[in-house]
Amino acid sequence: MIKRSFFTLTQPRLDYDLVEPDPKEPESIPVPSNLTLLLSEALDNTKTALLKKGDSVEKGDKLCLYDDSKEYTVSPVTGTINVIDTYTDDLGNSATFIVVKNAQGQASDSKAKIYDLKEDMASADGCLRTLPGAPPLKILAQDDVKIDTVVITCADADILSTTNQYMALKNLEDIKAGAQILKKITGAAKLCITVPKDLNIQGSFDSMQVFKTSMAYPSNLPAMILKDHLNMVLPAGKTPEDMGVCFVTAEAAVSMAGAYKTKSAGFEKVVTIIGKQGSRYRAKATIGTPLRKLFDPFSIHINDQDRIVVGGPMQGMATYTPYHPVEPDMDTIIIQDRDAIPEISDTACVNCGKCVRICPANIPVNILVRYLAADQYEEAADKCDLESCLECGLCAYTCTARIPVFQYIRLGKHELNKLRAEA
Amino acid sequence: MNNNKLTVSHAPFWHDGDSLFQMNLNIIIAAIPAVLFGIIQFGAPAVGVLTLSVSTAMIWELVSNLAAKQKLTIGDLDSALVGLIFGMMLPATSPWWLVITGTLVAVVVGKMIFGGTGANPFNPALVGMSFLMLSWPVFFDFDAAYVSYDVDFTALAPLAALKSMGPEGIDGMFTTGELLMGKQLGAIGSTFGLGLIIGGVYLILRGYIRWEIPVSFIVGIIVCAWAFNMADSEKYAGPMIHLFSGYTLLGAFFLAPENSSSPVNKIPMLLYGFLAAAMIILMRNVGAYSDGTVLAILLLNLVNPLIDNIRPKALGKGGSNA
Repeated sequence: MIKRSFFTLTQPRLDYDLVEPDPKEPESIPVPSNLTLLLSEALDNTKTALLKKGDSVEKGDKLCLYDDSKEYTVSPVTGTINVIDTYTDDLGNSATFIVVKNAQGQASDSKAKIYDLKEDMASADGCLRTLPGAPPLKILAQDDVKIDTVVITCADADILSTTNQYMALKNLEDIKAGAQILKKITGAAKLCITVPKDLNIQGSFDSMQVFKTSMAYPSNLPAMILKDHLNMVLPAGKTPEDMGVCFVTAEAAVSMAGAYKTKSAGFEKVVTIIGKQGSRYRAKATIGTPLRKLFDPFSIHINDQDRIVVGGPMQGMATYTPYHPVEPDMDTIIIQDRDAIPEISDTACVNCGKCVRICPANIPVNILVRYLAADQYEEAADKCDLESCLECGLCAYTCTARIPVFQYIRLGKHELNKLRAEA
Repeated sequence: MNNNKLTVSHAPFWHDGDSLFQMNLNIIIAAIPAVLFGIIQFGAPAVGVLTLSVSTAMIWELVSNLAAKQKLTIGDLDSALVGLIFGMMLPATSPWWLVITGTLVAVVVGKMIFGGTGANPFNPALVGMSFLMLSWPVFFDFDAAYVSYDVDFTALAPLAALKSMGPEGIDGMFTTGELLMGKQLGAIGSTFGLGLIIGGVYLILRGYIRWEIPVSFIVGIIVCAWAFNMADSEKYAGPMIHLFSGYTLLGAFFLAPENSSSPVNKIPMLLYGFLAAAMIILMRNVGAYSDGTVLAILLLNLVNPLIDNIRPKALGKGGSNA
């Protein structure tokens, strides 16, 4: 953990990590006997499910719950469905998990189902959403989304993560091929790529416009890239896609290229693992593998009250169980020892203003938390720019009173959307 | 199956390690040079006033917590700090009941009834102090308070002397060097200018107070006093005596930058400091009080929520680009 320095006349600065020079091949994790797949759709007893326990599935099969389902997941192995049940996500939404019993053995290179893949959006969205790196195909396939700029991000958005930098170092040709495919299927006019300023990549980027991003957090967040490199201001409450810009991780570009080459989906996700002492490992695991399996090769032991963080230290989420599966967008896993977990408190804001000065979006955080604590979400959005928040988490990182500011903001946005949907 | 019970919480998973306890402790540490000097200068009675002030401030918070059935909050040292600053503003000869009444008003009326730490619209120490100054002004006549002391410098409180005798009358009585080194009569923690400056610089470097407030405050004192002095140097004293006497430096580094009653945005902070200083000079030169620091800062605390609305536009709000 990075502590406050003794002299703090200037703002504290958090830097992105750089991938080690000449990185090793990631440790390959064998395909486990049971894989868990998450599906963001709730089970509905009034409809007849397409899937049931005991169904056999093939590697690459698309799994949806109902005939009219918009959500799907793809089975990463050949085997049988063992469990279908409900779980609740961070914000209380119901979703479904499916456990597939592996019948193909531990090798991950078995043949996957061949798709009839064409170079258009509907075809790609039809089967490639769960590719490693999670290309945002679902959003791109919406009728009202018109993309004119595709940005490939080799600079990881959160601190400590180096997965996409690693991909950029090792698979530049695939990134370029994937970018061209994305350009074609989205109809975008412009291809850009973000590269950390200090990362030295051998090879050319062809016609892609290169953005050298600063090493200081949060300069790799989409809203900051729009502002710093594309001279666009993200209006409050809008997404980059609304502005015609889509951000695709380097890993997603690589797996898109692979999928179009082989006409089948890949399932091997590269994950950066940060151990308790801050040591960094890299593993390659099949989507659906329980996290626990990723820790064994590096002899990381999980004790009671430790914390497993999926995603980076600033924006990630903590998981309830070491059996949480590897997901397509899971770039980083951090294991924190229970003694290293900073305390939070329920003290009121003391108005010291550190959050206001560190906020990259100029939000009056000190006033905002007061509105949010009082459940006044509309006022928070109108008067205190709730929707301008980039969700970088710096306010809560620096809070003297140790208020969970970022949690207030995330919850506030969620509640605001709920209020608006009801209205 | 091994089922570990994991800690689950929300992002971010790092913290810079700062806390309210750390912040208040550092402000208390910063006050030590001035406090020590006050104790050396005014002796055991000063120790009595300070300890009584700190302890009763903490007890009042404890009592309020218990009465309101809240979690006990004295551990964050906020009341200890209020008590210390309050004690520093009293003359060493203050009677015990004055101290206890003052801390009662400071902590209970100034802070706890608004909701405790962070919720106070005014600086709690100043609320207590203004209550005492209006109720028992006789105890704040420093010349009378220290009448039994034998000192090796001009035994007059500079600002009171200035008020009664004018700049001509006190000519040569107080040199800037003497004032800076604490050779003046005043409250326990307000006489040692150099100590207060050292403490203030420490706090600025540690990032516990915003430099904009003390800097604009001091600039405000110098500019306004100088302007009055330029207009009529026979009637109004120059900036140095204003800066190094009375509660001015205590106000610049410990009273005005109090977190919850001061602004956080850049322009408001500069305005706040400057206007507080301007009010002080106005009160001293035009008003009835010899030292207006307490009331001037309270007045600016009142204006704080208004001026703190001057802030930069948030990302993606308004403007032609949106």
